[in-house]
Amino acid sequence: MARYLLKRVLGALVVLLVLSAVVYLIFYALPGNPAQLVCGPKTCQADQLHRIEVGLGLDQPIWLQYWHFLVGIVAGRTYSGGPEVIHCAAPCLGYSYQTGEPVTGLLLDRLPVSLSLIVGGFVIWVTVGVALGVLSALRRGRAVDRIATGLTLAGNSTPVFLVGLLLLIVFCVYLRWLPFPGYQALTVNPLLWAQNLILPWVALSVVSAAVYTRLTRTSMLETLSEDHIRTFRAYGLPERRVIGRHALRGALTPLITIGTIDLATSLTGTTLTESLFGLPGLGQLLVSSVRNIDLPVVVGVTLLAGAVIVVANAAADVLYSVADRRVALA
Amino acid sequence: MIRKTVVLVGAGALLAGTLAACGQSGSGTSTTAFDPKTCQGGTLKVLNQKDITHLDPARIYTSGGGNIPSLLFRTLTTRNREAGAAGAKVVPDLATDTGTPSDNAKTWTYHLRAGVKFEDGTAITSQDVKYGIERSFSPDLPGGAAYLRDWLVGAKNYAGPYKGDAKSRDLAAIETPNTTTIVFHLNSPHGDFPYLATATQFAPVPKAKDTGVDYEKHPVSSGPYKIKSYQKNKSLVLERNTNWSRKVDPERLACPDVVDVTSGLNPDVINQRLAAGSGDDANAVTTDTDLGPAQLSQLNSNPELAKRVAKGNFPYTYYLTYDTTKAPFDKPQVREAFSYAVNRNSVINAVGGSSLAYPATTFLPAQKSMGYQAYDYFPAGKSGNPAKAKQLLAQAGYPHGLTVTLAHNNAAADPSGPEVATALQDALKKAGITVKLSTVDSNSFYDQLNNPKTQPQLAVAGWGADWPSGGPFLIPLFDGRQIIPSGGNFNTAMVNDKAVNAEIDKINGITDPAQAAKAWGALDASMGKQAWYVPLYHGKNLALFGKNVKNAWVSDWTGVYDVSQVSVK
Repeated sequence: MARYLLKRVLGALVVLLVLSAVVYLIFYALPGNPAQLVCGPKTCQADQLHRIEVGLGLDQPIWLQYWHFLVGIVAGRTYSGGPEVIHCAAPCLGYSYQTGEPVTGLLLDRLPVSLSLIVGGFVIWVTVGVALGVLSALRRGRAVDRIATGLTLAGNSTPVFLVGLLLLIVFCVYLRWLPFPGYQALTVNPLLWAQNLILPWVALSVVSAAVYTRLTRTSMLETLSEDHIRTFRAYGLPERRVIGRHALRGALTPLITIGTIDLATSLTGTTLTESLFGLPGLGQLLVSSVRNIDLPVVVGVTLLAGAVIVVANAAADVLYSVADRRVALA
Repeated sequence: MIRKTVVLVGAGALLAGTLAACGQSGSGTSTTAFDPKTCQGGTLKVLNQKDITHLDPARIYTSGGGNIPSLLFRTLTTRNREAGAAGAKVVPDLATDTGTPSDNAKTWTYHLRAGVKFEDGTAITSQDVKYGIERSFSPDLPGGAAYLRDWLVGAKNYAGPYKGDAKSRDLAAIETPNTTTIVFHLNSPHGDFPYLATATQFAPVPKAKDTGVDYEKHPVSSGPYKIKSYQKNKSLVLERNTNWSRKVDPERLACPDVVDVTSGLNPDVINQRLAAGSGDDANAVTTDTDLGPAQLSQLNSNPELAKRVAKGNFPYTYYLTYDTTKAPFDKPQVREAFSYAVNRNSVINAVGGSSLAYPATTFLPAQKSMGYQAYDYFPAGKSGNPAKAKQLLAQAGYPHGLTVTLAHNNAAADPSGPEVATALQDALKKAGITVKLSTVDSNSFYDQLNNPKTQPQLAVAGWGADWPSGGPFLIPLFDGRQIIPSGGNFNTAMVNDKAVNAEIDKINGITDPAQAAKAWGALDASMGKQAWYVPLYHGKNLALFGKNVKNAWVSDWTGVYDVSQVSVK
């Protein structure tokens, strides 16, 4: 197990290193000068621009900038911050060109918002998706199956901003059951936190649950037709136990794969939902940083998202072995 | 210059019908008449898409369009808080008057009002104002306008008060003979200096409290409010500054007790919330969101909603630009042909229709303070005059038309974007002008346009007022001495006319705003004959406000309602 973990950690580090190098390279291929954007709405003249470029370290060659970035992660960095020098402690992901804030702080600020959105949404869309999928499989060809399939198709083919706008109109304008959402921290008021997130969770679930319903239905039908299920039934095992303990468990493997990947990619992939419901999450941060050519933030968010995907993949491997004993970690 | 993007979100338009009823719901409008004496109280909510770029006065661009900074920072002078043309006047703020010019408007002297204090009760001194300006030169705090660097004596290479020896940290062009007097020495006459003194760089900063880049986490207020809490990109809550009073600030009413700004909201949701006005949203305004298509489509049928739309014209001109020193635009007839050939109607439709823009035939927008004088030397009508354009092209030696390349950026619904480019392409085609379109990434569009080495043959650009005077509108685009070969050049027509340069110098020395405005207007009217640019349209601003919001008038300076004057009581 220790060897397995060591292998995974080393592999993850290599992936993240390559990822950060690629983002640096892509960034330099982008048109536009970040110093120009920092300088103000009017285009800056050459001498002023040069001073800002020196201040941001943009006058250095790309490899040196990248090296300073890597050193900062391990040993921290110092920045010119006006009257005094500012020290950014390790792991330092740099300072945002645009806001002048440390990237680590920006990420930590946005992370709870994104986690609140995707974890809550994930629980709903997996629960609803799997439940509808099981129901569909057990009532194959009947009305319940057809309704579930129809709902699945409708949900899957509706853009999330449309679902979101309709939810806002129905629940915040006409029925007025809920306030217009905005993020409230879980630690401050859990009730307000949930009240503000319920609509974004539902919007995400309407769109995402469809995949789980379809997948669960297919996997369940496949597992139910396998020999060992027939044997359990022949031995007179209660149907609830056959379905819940054996058939569903067998159908879980593909769901674990897609679930862990979904969870990880949603971290920065829910920009539309964040924007519509006024949630300042990582997705919005990434989009605005790319638009403002704010390299330190782009690299920071990419690395965080990459790390989460690597961890999610490792978690999926562990979960496989739990769900299916035939799979061993090696 | 503030570049504005007219955002027309497709989803909003799609749902226009569904949303139509929303404006009629919500709580009833408050009926008590506005009285400045009794307007204090309540919480004003501000619903915005974006957070303020910076809360550091050194890093904020000219305060003209900024509403929130004016609640925290007082400057030597400020905009007159009145509706319409009167609002374009510059009036004293921290200073006792708008400045005393001497030495042919090369020296400006200000005296501070008695009793002005920071939020901690400390008296504001002229040294605090000087220090605020000095720190805006630091490369660590970029973002402000470059006027101070260009105008103050010896400021070109000044790098702020943080680094170097005592002498190099001091900006000698600003003198503070005593704690209430501040004197500015300029390298040439500038009658517009009182307008520049409205910028947030002229806000006092106590040296002892300066934390450099971290100062914006809690800037020290000199205005009617101070920061209660601030979470970047989420919320900014302002509460009353008890060391401020109307006795020492005749301009700001500061009616609400609390100003609660929420940022990071979707523009459709902002407009929807303001239209519905349910609960606290009845006390809400926005300082960065134009009216959406869903609400725009209801203005004629929903009088209640129409009453809650503030209509303004922030001085802004969009124009077609080309290099007049290069063929074919070095020939006046070709430039005139383009002026005749454009279809301003189709361009205006491309940016959202006549509710959001009006046609421009002059370079200065139709504001009295800018010195506007009406003229239309090349009457193209609403949809262009291709016959006249063809005739002029033939005279210029292009009887079979000509081919040009128009660069546009890739941002949808942008004035320099593909929709406007296509509209121009169609119109010019009728005059025998073949327009090839070339797409430039929006991040580098202005870098390319403002660098003479990379400037495209033809492009659409926009220019806005840093303050409502003809000077900052005309000088950067027409003064030949402002052509910058290394980039950051706004004189994209590459005009360098001795008579124009001399006239600019002459008007810069005029210290009476009315007289200067008249002279700027006359200069615009005379330059218009050369067709150095083709004015296309001026922008309009429409913004909703909540049902309980009162006194939400619009001035010609900002084009939007003034948050320091509105009331929710």
